[in-house]
Amino acid sequence: MREELRELWRFRELLWSMTERELRIRYKNSVLGFLWSLINPLITVGVMTLVFKYFLGQSVGSYTLYVLAAYLPFLFFQFALLDSAQSVLQAIPIVKKVYFPREILPLSQILANFIHLIMAFCVFFLICTVVWARHPGAFPVQSTVVLLPFLLLINLALSVGLGLLVSALNTFMEDVKYILSAVLYVGFFLTPVMYFSESVQHAMGSKGKLGEALYLVYHLNPMATLCTAYKKILLAPTPVPSPGKEGGTLPPLPIDWPMIGVAACVSLAALIFGYAVFNRLKWRFVERP
Amino acid sequence: MKSGPAIIVRDLRKKFRLSQSGAASLKTALLWWKRRKYVDLDVLKGVSFEVGWGETVALVGRNGAGKSTLLSLISRIYKPTSGTIELKGRVAPLLELGAGFHPDLSGRENVFFNGVILGLTRKQILERTPAIIAFAELESHIDAPVRTYSSGMMARLGFAVAVHVDAEILIVDEVLAVGDYAFEQKCYAKIDEFKKAGGAILFVSHGADTVRRVADRCLWIKDGQIEAQGSPDEVLAKYGAIHVEELVEG
Repeated sequence: MREELRELWRFRELLWSMTERELRIRYKNSVLGFLWSLINPLITVGVMTLVFKYFLGQSVGSYTLYVLAAYLPFLFFQFALLDSAQSVLQAIPIVKKVYFPREILPLSQILANFIHLIMAFCVFFLICTVVWARHPGAFPVQSTVVLLPFLLLINLALSVGLGLLVSALNTFMEDVKYILSAVLYVGFFLTPVMYFSESVQHAMGSKGKLGEALYLVYHLNPMATLCTAYKKILLAPTPVPSPGKEGGTLPPLPIDWPMIGVAACVSLAALIFGYAVFNRLKWRFVERP
Repeated sequence: MKSGPAIIVRDLRKKFRLSQSGAASLKTALLWWKRRKYVDLDVLKGVSFEVGWGETVALVGRNGAGKSTLLSLISRIYKPTSGTIELKGRVAPLLELGAGFHPDLSGRENVFFNGVILGLTRKQILERTPAIIAFAELESHIDAPVRTYSSGMMARLGFAVAVHVDAEILIVDEVLAVGDYAFEQKCYAKIDEFKKAGGAILFVSHGADTVRRVADRCLWIKDGQIEAQGSPDEVLAKYGAIHVEELVEG
């Protein structure tokens, strides 16, 4: 693996250029390119706010911000995997003609999405400022925001590991991308993006020992831990409406550092495993039946 | 000029595994009674040769003899089944001109990207872009998207990039005859210049005239092995005695 990493470093210029090209193609032909790509998530979150806050009465202050804090990274994860699944297959004509480390194909897709996520977070902070200007009080973003790079790094490692894995597998079996989109669709509901982990703990807590075990299993998905962590380090702790009791609330849980540690380890394992699988298969991409 | 060989190929073998049931899917992986049948195909059966610095070697042979596979192996597209390839300098593979071009980007952006794929740094490619554009004679179209180019324009741009990346070894697969007559002459001139500077060239051609015009030495590949080698006239005579029809086109 060390040999492969050295080779990748030698081709870093190509990686940056392909990432840049990816972003340029995505934002090409429209002045508002970047903003257009943000409108979709903003509308989605707007609808979620309407449904959860007003129809279902989950009256959490600035619910939109909490959802956005987790939805932006989830979207990154989703698109990083879907784009990398296609990346090698789409580039087969080039792969057959020129040598370069093949991992650059999925990596450039993931990096382009990552840069997009960072820009989206800038817009997020802008929205926070607008909210704060309209409802003066405590600034919604907390000082723990300095920990954001750590979460982003864990998220990136996880996405790169799984991205390499799906891009290699999808090159040989095109069913992989359909399975992937189904898993991501289900995964979205099993990840605390539009609800809060406090509600999950409350629901599981009433089930005794089994519930506690299920709560742990639920958080073995690193994205579940990460989405909760994004909300908690970016925004002030908020009480979550309790189901059942009228007007009752659940107290906010503290940031769960051991769980974040587990997520980091799982992500690192995914990174190493994904890269190992990719390296085993990459010479067979051109010879694919 | 460097001494010693530029390319050393030793007992190179390549076996391909062909599937008879088309693209893989989960279904075929799960249904054991529909297991895919494989056929092993020996494309190269032990090829050894060297190319020296300043030397141009032509590969001739019928379709399917293994010429293109050989060039792909030297360009590191495939991994050999066994045997070794040593390359003593930077390689520019021209297996297909403009293979990495993206239709929606402009010619200038594609030049940049193609240069980086062939191993230049950003700074180097930006310095050379004017020379590349001038060589390709595309000054007026360079900022238009490549999808608006004709195939000749695309090939000219691809060739221009490839000869400006400071490669010491050129691997060329039947792409010399691009563009019109005038551009073809320009390509030959560039190749002569490249040879004089001490570069090594390995190319495939079906045109006897091209082989005679450019090559110093000729290898005839037949069924994955070297059937004959020597001066172009000598080898072409042997080859031509059997395959007259292909040489007529050249």
